[in-house]
Amino acid sequence: MSPVIEIDSLRVKLGRREILQGISCRLGVSGTGKAIGLLGPNGAGKSTLIQTLLGFHKPFAGRARILGLDCHTQAREVKTRIGYMPENDSFIGNMTAVAFLRLMAEVSGMPRAAALEKAHEVLFHVGLGESRYRQIGTYSLGMKQMAKLAQAIVHGPELVILDEPTNGLDPAARQRMLQLIKEMKEQHGMNVLLCSHLLTDVEQVCEEVVILKDGKIVHQADLEAERKSNRRFVQLDVTGDDRNLINALREVGADGVSEAPGQWRIVLPADVEIGSLWRLASRERLQIRKLTHRKDTLEEIFLKAVGHIRQTPGASPAEVPAHGRL
Amino acid sequence: MAVYRRGYQRYSGGFTSHAARMMVIPRFSWERILEQKFVVILLVVSMFWPLLCAGFIYLANHTELWQGFDNGFKKFLNIDGRFFSIFMNAQSVYALILASVAGPGLIAPDLANNALPLYFSRPLTRGDYIWSRMIVLLGLLSFVSIVPGILLFCMQVGMAGGDWLWKNWYLGVAIVAGFALYICIVSLVALTSSAYVKWRVVAGALVLAFFFLLTGAAEMINEVFRVGWGSTFNPAYAIKTVWYWLLDLDIPDDKPGPAECGMFLIALTGGLLVLLARRLRPVEVVK
Repeated sequence: MSPVIEIDSLRVKLGRREILQGISCRLGVSGTGKAIGLLGPNGAGKSTLIQTLLGFHKPFAGRARILGLDCHTQAREVKTRIGYMPENDSFIGNMTAVAFLRLMAEVSGMPRAAALEKAHEVLFHVGLGESRYRQIGTYSLGMKQMAKLAQAIVHGPELVILDEPTNGLDPAARQRMLQLIKEMKEQHGMNVLLCSHLLTDVEQVCEEVVILKDGKIVHQADLEAERKSNRRFVQLDVTGDDRNLINALREVGADGVSEAPGQWRIVLPADVEIGSLWRLASRERLQIRKLTHRKDTLEEIFLKAVGHIRQTPGASPAEVPAHGRL
Repeated sequence: MAVYRRGYQRYSGGFTSHAARMMVIPRFSWERILEQKFVVILLVVSMFWPLLCAGFIYLANHTELWQGFDNGFKKFLNIDGRFFSIFMNAQSVYALILASVAGPGLIAPDLANNALPLYFSRPLTRGDYIWSRMIVLLGLLSFVSIVPGILLFCMQVGMAGGDWLWKNWYLGVAIVAGFALYICIVSLVALTSSAYVKWRVVAGALVLAFFFLLTGAAEMINEVFRVGWGSTFNPAYAIKTVWYWLLDLDIPDDKPGPAECGMFLIALTGGLLVLLARRLRPVEVVK
C-alpha cells in the first residue's frame, strides 16, 4: 500500500534560514480516505511543509512525494490530483461563486460542461446553493471559508490539503465544516491533510497526526490506536504529602507523573473508575483541590511533543529521549 | 436529476490538455473585459481608421478616377511602406489606450484577493499564468492591430494583383512582426503595471506614462549630452525604428539604428518579465 505523502530527509530553506530541517515520514495510505492532522506551534514549519508539498518552494535537499509523484519534478501531475484550501482569504472578489468555481475547475483540467455542473453541485454540497450567484466579495467569513473548501474539492482530488479550515467560524459553522471534512474522507474516499491549531478539530477528524516543532517532526501518532486504547487522562491538583501517590496509583493499575509540587497528570486504564482516585487521596490524606477528567489524548501528545510537559503519564522515561522524540 | 437533489459526487471523468487549460484564464478574462462598455466603444472606434484606409486602398486601385490629377497626387495614392506606417502609427494609439484600460484589471485583482495560491496550487506554473494573462491582451490588441492590418494588406493584394504582392510581400511580414513586437511590449508594460499598482486608474495611467516618461528621459539625454543615442531608450522611437526598418523606410542617420533599438527592446522585454516574475509568487517569502 503506497503512502499518500512520503517525505524523505526534506530540507527547505527560505533565504538563509532553514525552515524544514531534514524531516522524514510516510503519511496515510493511498485510496483509503484517511485524514492526517498537521500540528505544531507557530513557526514550526507547517505552512512551509504544505507549500513545499504544493510545489511553491523548492527543496534544498531531500524530496517530498504525493501519491507516488515527486512534488517538485512532477508538480503538474501532482497538482491535478490535489486540492488546496489556503488559510487566508483567497478568491476573486468580483466574481459570482459559480463563475469562480467554474474557473477553478476548468483550470484544474475539467471540461467546460462538467466544470459548470460540478460548480453547482459542490456549492449545494457546502451549503452555498442559494447564494451561488452572489459575488464572493459580498460573502460573510463563514461563507468564504465554505467557498474555499468548495474550490478545493470541485475537481474531485485524491488529496485535499486544508490549512486552518475552521478559522473564524462560529460553532455551528465549525461543526458543519468538520462534518463536511468527515464526509469527504468517509463517503468520497478523499485523503485529507488538515493543518489546524485547534486540537479538538484534529482529534475529531483525523486518524493520524504529525507534530512539527522548529522544522522537525517531534511526534507522529496513530490517533485511531490511541482511541482504541480507551485511556482517560486526569489532571489532579492536591495538597498534602503526595510522595507516595505514585505507588498508590500503581496499586490500582493507574500511572501518573508529577509536573509540579501537588500537580499530577494521571492516566487511567479503561477499567479503573474515577472514584478510586478519591479513595486513594483519602487513604493518603491528600486534599483534592482540582480534578479535571477528559478522554482525549491529543492535547497530551501535543504538549509533550512541543515540550510543554515533560512526559506523558504512563510512558516510562526511557521512551522519551532527551531531544523529545518518541 | 436536479443538481440540488443529486448531492456531491467526486469527479471521475477525463481532464483537458495543458493547452486547453491555458486558454481558460483568457476566455474568462475576455468575457469580463468585454462587459466594460468603454472597451467595446474603443474597439468599435478603433475600426474607423482601418475602414478609412480600406476606402483609400479602394480609391488608390481605381486609377481611372484620378486621371485628371498630377503625378504628385498619384504618388500620394501609392500603397507602400509609408501608407502602412501611417496606418500602424494610428492603430498603435488605440492599442495603447486599450491596453491601459483592459490591462490593469488582469493581475491586480488576483493579488488583492490573494488568488495566486489558488492558481498555482493547480496545474499552472508562474510562466503559464503570465502567458495566459499575456494572451488576454495579445488577443485583444491583435484585434485592433494585426487583424485589420492583414485585412488591408489582403485587400490591397486582391485589388492590385500578384505583381504587387511579389514586389511588396515584405509589407505583410512587417505588419505582423511590427505589431507583434509592439503589442508584446505594451502588454508586458500593462501587466507589470497591473502587478505593482492595485488601483486601476493609476495602473492605467502608468501604462500611458511609461511611454511618455521614457520619451522625455531619452530626449533629455540627447539634449544634455548633445548626442543622438539617447533615443535608444525611448521605447516609442525604438519600436518605430524597427517598424521603419521592416517597412523599408528611411531611418535618420544621426539616430540609433534598428539593431540598437532591437537590442533595447529585447532588454526591456526581459526586464519587464523579471519584474513580473518577481511579483507573481504563490507565497510571499519574508527574508
